[in-house]
Amino acid sequence: MGLLCSRNRHSNEADAKENAQAEEIERRIEQETRAEKHIQKLLLLGAGESGKSTIFKQIKLLFQTGFDEAELKSYISVIHANVYQTIKVLFDGLKEFSQNETDSSKYVLSGENKEIGEKLSEIGGKLEYPRLTKELAQEIETLWKDPAIQETYARGNELQVPDSAHYFMENLQRFSDANYIPTKDDVLFARVRTTGVVEIQFSPVGENKKSGEVYRLFDVGGQRNERRKWIHLFEGVTAVIFCAAISDYDQTLFEDEQKNRMMETKELFDWVLKQPCFEKTSFMLFLNKFDIFEKKVLKVPLNVCEWFKDYQPVSTGKQEVEHAYEFVKKKFEELYFESNTPDRGRIFKIYRTTALDQKLVKKTFKLVDETLRLRRRNQYEAGLL
Amino acid sequence: MASCAVEGGCPSDYIAVAIAILSIILLIARSILPCVLHKIPRTKGSGFWIPVIQVFASFNLLLSIVMSVHFLKFKKTHWMLSCYIWGVWVEGPLGFGLLLSCRIAQAFQLYNIFVKRRLPAIRSHIFLPLMLLPWIAVAAFIHAKKPLNARCHMGTYWVIPAVCLHILYLAALVGFTRAIQHIEFRFDELKDLWHGIIVSALSIGLWVSAYILNEIHEEISWLQVASRFLLLIMSSILVVVFFSISSSQPLLSQISLRRREPLEFKTMGKALGIPDSGLLLQREPVVAIDPNEPLEKLLLNKKFRQSFMAFAASCLAGETVHFFEEVHELAKIPIDDPVRRIYMARHIIDKYIAAGAAMEVNISHKTHQEILTTTDLAHADLFKNALNEVIQLMKMNLAKDYWSSMYFMKFKEEASMRSSGCELEQMSGWNYSPRLSFVHATDDPFHHDHFPKGSSHDSYHSD
Repeated sequence: MGLLCSRNRHSNEADAKENAQAEEIERRIEQETRAEKHIQKLLLLGAGESGKSTIFKQIKLLFQTGFDEAELKSYISVIHANVYQTIKVLFDGLKEFSQNETDSSKYVLSGENKEIGEKLSEIGGKLEYPRLTKELAQEIETLWKDPAIQETYARGNELQVPDSAHYFMENLQRFSDANYIPTKDDVLFARVRTTGVVEIQFSPVGENKKSGEVYRLFDVGGQRNERRKWIHLFEGVTAVIFCAAISDYDQTLFEDEQKNRMMETKELFDWVLKQPCFEKTSFMLFLNKFDIFEKKVLKVPLNVCEWFKDYQPVSTGKQEVEHAYEFVKKKFEELYFESNTPDRGRIFKIYRTTALDQKLVKKTFKLVDETLRLRRRNQYEAGLL
Repeated sequence: MASCAVEGGCPSDYIAVAIAILSIILLIARSILPCVLHKIPRTKGSGFWIPVIQVFASFNLLLSIVMSVHFLKFKKTHWMLSCYIWGVWVEGPLGFGLLLSCRIAQAFQLYNIFVKRRLPAIRSHIFLPLMLLPWIAVAAFIHAKKPLNARCHMGTYWVIPAVCLHILYLAALVGFTRAIQHIEFRFDELKDLWHGIIVSALSIGLWVSAYILNEIHEEISWLQVASRFLLLIMSSILVVVFFSISSSQPLLSQISLRRREPLEFKTMGKALGIPDSGLLLQREPVVAIDPNEPLEKLLLNKKFRQSFMAFAASCLAGETVHFFEEVHELAKIPIDDPVRRIYMARHIIDKYIAAGAAMEVNISHKTHQEILTTTDLAHADLFKNALNEVIQLMKMNLAKDYWSSMYFMKFKEEASMRSSGCELEQMSGWNYSPRLSFVHATDDPFHHDHFPKGSSHDSYHSD
């Protein structure tokens, strides 16, 4: 691993021609083995909770057979687990705030909600979660509607509240139904921390059915401990899809509550760009979670994040959202071009995505596919294939 | 004879210097040899640096004695050859002081972990400089007062406080060691410390007498030569014998060449004598695996756990199952045996919890901090929350795919073959059942050492 990637280029003129020839031969061998299979390797990289697995699920839905009933049913336990975990995080956060805040009257639960909260918190800490019954769902909903919990939720960025918390709490009645079968949206919203690596192989069947392109997509875990496993996948990658959740500029990491998520993403993106294996790899940056970003940026200024501290809001409403988005996009571009010249020969494209939106992901992926196909054609024409 | 006693260069001096050089070579060999011979990987952190600092300090000590006590004949006009640098600074803060401070740091760490039962609050890279401050202060004081004569001798008045400082540090080492003497260490830590103390006490005794004789009776030349000789020999022996580090990490104790082979124990569990640790019992009852049972119960079955572990390793998530196993082994150690519990807990923390650890598991920040700032390393529920999180991770990520993977099928076949009394030896690895080995693509990134090439271990490959 890495023999190809970490080789140094000797700039001695006398050896240059020899080296070029050797490289040419190696390249041809490599391309030939790849051309035999036409398989292009795509990696989904990014920090924790940036939307990689959701994109992965979307690709599965779009280009494979989708989820059958058995697979949908297998997500019931996941969704129930998410519900319990969410309410537990909120309740525990509430307790923490009520102990630490000077004005703790906001964080006092009314009536019997305290006991309900304790009970749910205990359930959430167990290994096996009970089935979500109507009664439990009712209790959770009551607790969710309590003003103290809503106050806590408003400060959810200081806790590890999942982004889909609102969705789960609003659909409790449906989830607790005895014959509940998760919908596609439920599956997309369901949150499971990925550990290790997952892969699928697919062929994007477009208008031209004879495309013959086969992609192999790899999904990884984003937390810090998972990143040491990434190196096993770095060789022979056609394109890296780097997911960056632009809405978490005011949140901290799951694995390190002292570090801001956007700063971590910035450092991670920089690190990935500098990998020697990715010298010729195309980079597709997905600026994800735009739907959450839209709402958040009007309430929480961008400059709470150190990287965006020079941001100046100009207007309000939709214009402001666009302005903020362009600012963030520019920051990422600057980061890329800090160490990469535009004529380097490496493709770099930025896409605005909301991984939960199937149409958008389909459109985005088609653009990615076109870009990669164009690149392959150019390489072929240049005699490199 | 008289001149060589004053200026240096007597035959005995050269012999002494040669022995000193030999002892340094021996010391360096002792520190490097275990790594080279047994190919043990380098430890990170204080486990590596403290021995290195010890070697450095030993070298300094010997060098300072050679330079300041006229062993060799050379012009003393250059400022670098000044008495103060060698006799005071290099011998004190950078030599003997550093040497003993390393040992005290080690004893302090052991005290923290086994008596106080918490991970040391002061890291050794802060503790060590702290211990050196008195030496630096005294050295600066001596340098300011300049009591040394042309022959680098201090005179009676100044020798006493210098020697007192040496003895003070030895006393501190004795004190810390006595505080932990009631602990039944598993890996000779205490023995090593006492060993070190006895050696240093003995040598300090001889050294002091040689030093005093050297200093006080400047006129008697044979005494000068003899005491000088003794001083250097004593120091050479001291540094070599003093040097053996034992941390409570037997698997990584690369420095001491013990009688016992360091690689005898492949797992910490075995080293601590935990029953059934790592053994694959052939006579384990063949239990029918029911996928509907909770995963944590199924994982208690060794064979199932092995199969699941291999599957997890193929998806690069093997640390979860290893963590489960080691915490399970920790639970086997009785509560009334805190020493062994602490060893195991530390091992688990270093391997799975510490940031950047080789097999770091995916747990939340809160759980992480709870473990690292615990006040009782021997507590029964130290890893409970972490284990819960890891099991949840396994259930949600790996369990589903395991049931439809080739690993599970193979496990079922093996179980049914075993229960029908077939000889296990007939199953020769992966190719005993052709229908299970569908060939995977050659650029498989999940190739793992467990399974030979060609056997399929990708269950996510949707056909």
